[in-house]
Amino acid sequence: MAPPRGEVLQGTLDLIVLQTLQAMGPLHGYGIARRVQQVSEDLLKLNQGTLYPALLRLEQRGWISSKWGASENNRKAKYYSLTRAGRKQLLAETESWERMTALMARLLGDTEGG
Amino acid sequence: MFRLGNLPTRLWNMFRKQRLEQDLSAELQAHLDLLTEENIRRGMNPLEAAHAARREFGGVEQTKEMYRERRGLPFLETLLEDVRYALRMLRKSPGFTAVAILTLALGIGANTAIFSVMEAVLLRPLPFPYPERLAMVWENVHLPHYQNDQNTPAPGNFADWKNRNTVFSGIAAIGYRSWNLTGTGEPVRIEGEAFSADIFSVLETYPMLGRAFSAAEDRPGSAHVALLGYGLWANRFAADPNMIGRTMRLDEESYTVIGVMPRGFRFPDPDDQLYVPLALTEEQLANHGSHFLRVVARLRPGVALPQAQSEMEGIAQHLTTQYPDSNTGVGVKLISLEDQRAGNMRRPLLMLSGVAGLLLLMVSANVANLLLARASVRGRELAIRSALGASRARVLRQLLAESLLLSFLGGVLGLAFAFWGINVLRGYAPAEQNLAEVHLNTLVGAFNLGVSLLTGFIFGLFPAFQSARGEVVDKLKEGGRDSASIGRVRTRGLLVVVEMALGVIVLIGAGLLLRSFVRLEQIPLGFRPDDVLTLRVILRGPRYSGLPERTAFYRESVERMQSLPGVRSVGAISFLPLTMQGRTTGIDVEGQARPAPGQVPFADFRSVSPGYFTTMGIPLLEGRDFSWDDAPPSLPVMIVSQTMARNFWPPGDAIGKRIKLGGVNSGAPWVTVVGIVADVRQLELINAPRPAMYLPASQDAGTGDTLRDWVIRASGDPAALGSAMRTAVWAIDPTLPISRIQTMERVRSNYLGPQQFNLALVALFGALALILAAAGLYGVAAYSVQQRGREIGIRMAMGAQARDILRLVLGYGTKLAVLGVAVGSLTALVLTRLVSSLLYGISEHDPLTFVGVAVLLVSVAVMASYIPARRAMRVDPLVALREE
Repeated sequence: MAPPRGEVLQGTLDLIVLQTLQAMGPLHGYGIARRVQQVSEDLLKLNQGTLYPALLRLEQRGWISSKWGASENNRKAKYYSLTRAGRKQLLAETESWERMTALMARLLGDTEGG
Repeated sequence: MFRLGNLPTRLWNMFRKQRLEQDLSAELQAHLDLLTEENIRRGMNPLEAAHAARREFGGVEQTKEMYRERRGLPFLETLLEDVRYALRMLRKSPGFTAVAILTLALGIGANTAIFSVMEAVLLRPLPFPYPERLAMVWENVHLPHYQNDQNTPAPGNFADWKNRNTVFSGIAAIGYRSWNLTGTGEPVRIEGEAFSADIFSVLETYPMLGRAFSAAEDRPGSAHVALLGYGLWANRFAADPNMIGRTMRLDEESYTVIGVMPRGFRFPDPDDQLYVPLALTEEQLANHGSHFLRVVARLRPGVALPQAQSEMEGIAQHLTTQYPDSNTGVGVKLISLEDQRAGNMRRPLLMLSGVAGLLLLMVSANVANLLLARASVRGRELAIRSALGASRARVLRQLLAESLLLSFLGGVLGLAFAFWGINVLRGYAPAEQNLAEVHLNTLVGAFNLGVSLLTGFIFGLFPAFQSARGEVVDKLKEGGRDSASIGRVRTRGLLVVVEMALGVIVLIGAGLLLRSFVRLEQIPLGFRPDDVLTLRVILRGPRYSGLPERTAFYRESVERMQSLPGVRSVGAISFLPLTMQGRTTGIDVEGQARPAPGQVPFADFRSVSPGYFTTMGIPLLEGRDFSWDDAPPSLPVMIVSQTMARNFWPPGDAIGKRIKLGGVNSGAPWVTVVGIVADVRQLELINAPRPAMYLPASQDAGTGDTLRDWVIRASGDPAALGSAMRTAVWAIDPTLPISRIQTMERVRSNYLGPQQFNLALVALFGALALILAAAGLYGVAAYSVQQRGREIGIRMAMGAQARDILRLVLGYGTKLAVLGVAVGSLTALVLTRLVSSLLYGISEHDPLTFVGVAVLLVSVAVMASYIPARRAMRVDPLVALREE
């Protein structure tokens, strides 16, 4: 049986969100959603609403923090930013992701070779 | 994913829900607004833009729900929701709720109360260090005419036991004492003990103020010293810390207070208030024939009770060879202090707790039954909930929440019942069952609460599974008549059979106790207790040391009381009947062969005043009553009981015969028999009356007996005479304490108290059992009528008469009842053996009780199923068929 789809997506989504905040600084939920859609190129077919529980989860883990501020159109919006723990996490995840991709590449390469 | 680190925040979040909800809504709204604006920028009209935004965003409510699940503690929240919902459901069917909670509370309350008493009497450690090493040492007397395995030891035996044993680290003697305490306030009688000085090291308990007796003070002729009991110190002397060194007047003599015993010290009797040195004389220490001590010993570390018992038996055998006259047939018996405390209460308590346990089982069965009935009624509701998306686990959890809530409420109410019940027990329990230290035991309470929750859990889970299992569609279609409901009918029938069987056992127990109590009450007492008031006056001190002075008081008090209005006659005796007190002596019957050692005839004796027999309604069968002229220098006389006359002389021959008290070698004078009275149940009710002699208090036959209990026969209400009698006594001597003013009826019921008390409790449990059994059967019969409405309709449509329907329903109920009664009776046949020692005059398999209970339960069952049967007869076939 394949692992539940959500599990895989969750890890990926976390990474994308953290990376987004790293690259673009504090951002509100809408901005993050936009960015996710841009970079994932429809790979992640998500309802934008799905983002919010994920944001809450990251906040509960202490990787991001939030605070109310004014949006581009001068509306009240909640801005999320990366914490120090979040940066560390992003670094760790990036490394492990790279290790994983390298491993996969080798593995798949071997299979093709053999 | 659940992380413990978030727990505080998540918990906190549960309490600021509203604020968080507002934030969430605002955040999502902001998102939607931004999205909509962008869509407008792309050229959509506003309405279109808003729709598109929502599409892109997904379900706002779903998002919120997912968000909420992460934010708070969904499990706890739904649990609270379950509880809230359960409360609402319970409120909606108040009848069901009340019945379930009440029965649970009764079962739990009864159990908690009884187990609390048990804990205090049987299980709680005694308040001494290493209490398991303490034992009472008794004489085990086995003679042809007298058997007693807890005979009070003679001081000579105590002295030899003490000198010869190697198994005890210490052994101490106790002698009962009582005093008239005068000097401060109203004169009072106080009871207490004389201790040998070793007692403190044996019990390893010492005075909390002052000091213990010294060995020197435990010798005859030393200065009078006394230790106060905590109660006496606190009540009479206002807990004065400077009491040590003060003096107090006891029996007209001065005693120096040297200490106060600690608060919980109640040894050996709970009523003891004062302790003095025992100070046995050399003469007493050599006496093996006068038995009046109690002896307590501490086993050496490593010595087991049986080992000590066997060494002590060896010593007792040695004493028998050494002193054949006094010690033939006198063995020794050790009883651990813990067993001694439990005493006669062990069996009744075990019986009561067994009955209370059965009752709790019945309650559980009943509540299970109610829950099952409810589950079937609610089948449809649950089906709808499932159809609307409630998961099976959710439905299950909700049903469980309801039953747990139910049993929790029952448990809490049960604890309240127990609290109240223990107070009632304490108030009504006979004095000898000392329940002062019984309190609602938290451990027991918690245990019972646990049991009730477990009951709720098991019997809540069961129907919940059954409900959750059924096919939703079937249930909706059939209105609750699915295959699960047939299983439920069978389960409920089984539960009722079990309940009936348990009820039979409880009721048979109650019936047996009731019958033996009636038998006890029917035993002829030999006197008429009605209309008689009794009171106790004990003459002490130098003023009453002479027989003439005592006699003068006896006569004057009797005559003064006699002259008062409302008094028919007055008399006095040394030991009132049915108070388990009395004295026995060896006798020498003139003209009869000298008996071998161990064969000396014994008889009870007591001193009486003239008028005692008349007042107590004891018939004089032959000869004459005493008069005040039976005093020195006139000839010593006695009146004997019927049994005594029959045992020692041919019929009609007793009058004029002579007897010497104290046995063959005694120096007492010969006493002539001048009358015969009917037998009286003096010491206790159950055994046949023993030979008894009555001596006039105005003569000295060498007994040293004084009159203690006055009896007054009233022409009206005896209880109303109390204060007049006190005034009469105080008119002669205002320093005399007057105690135990009570009617003779009261004395009698005190004697029967323990039996009556046990009976009352068991009868109460029996009544509860009957109600539970009836309720259970009614519930099942009613349920089956409801379930079989369609079937009954069809039967009636096919021409069945009301009579047939009645038979159908009654038959079902009766079948269950008969089955339950059969199972219960068979079980009871085995179980009643456990209570046989509590019965008097009937067999533990008393057929009348067994048959009576069976008939009672079956008829109650028929009545209980008659009500639903009538409902069934009134079923309109058309309505029944259409409804289904």
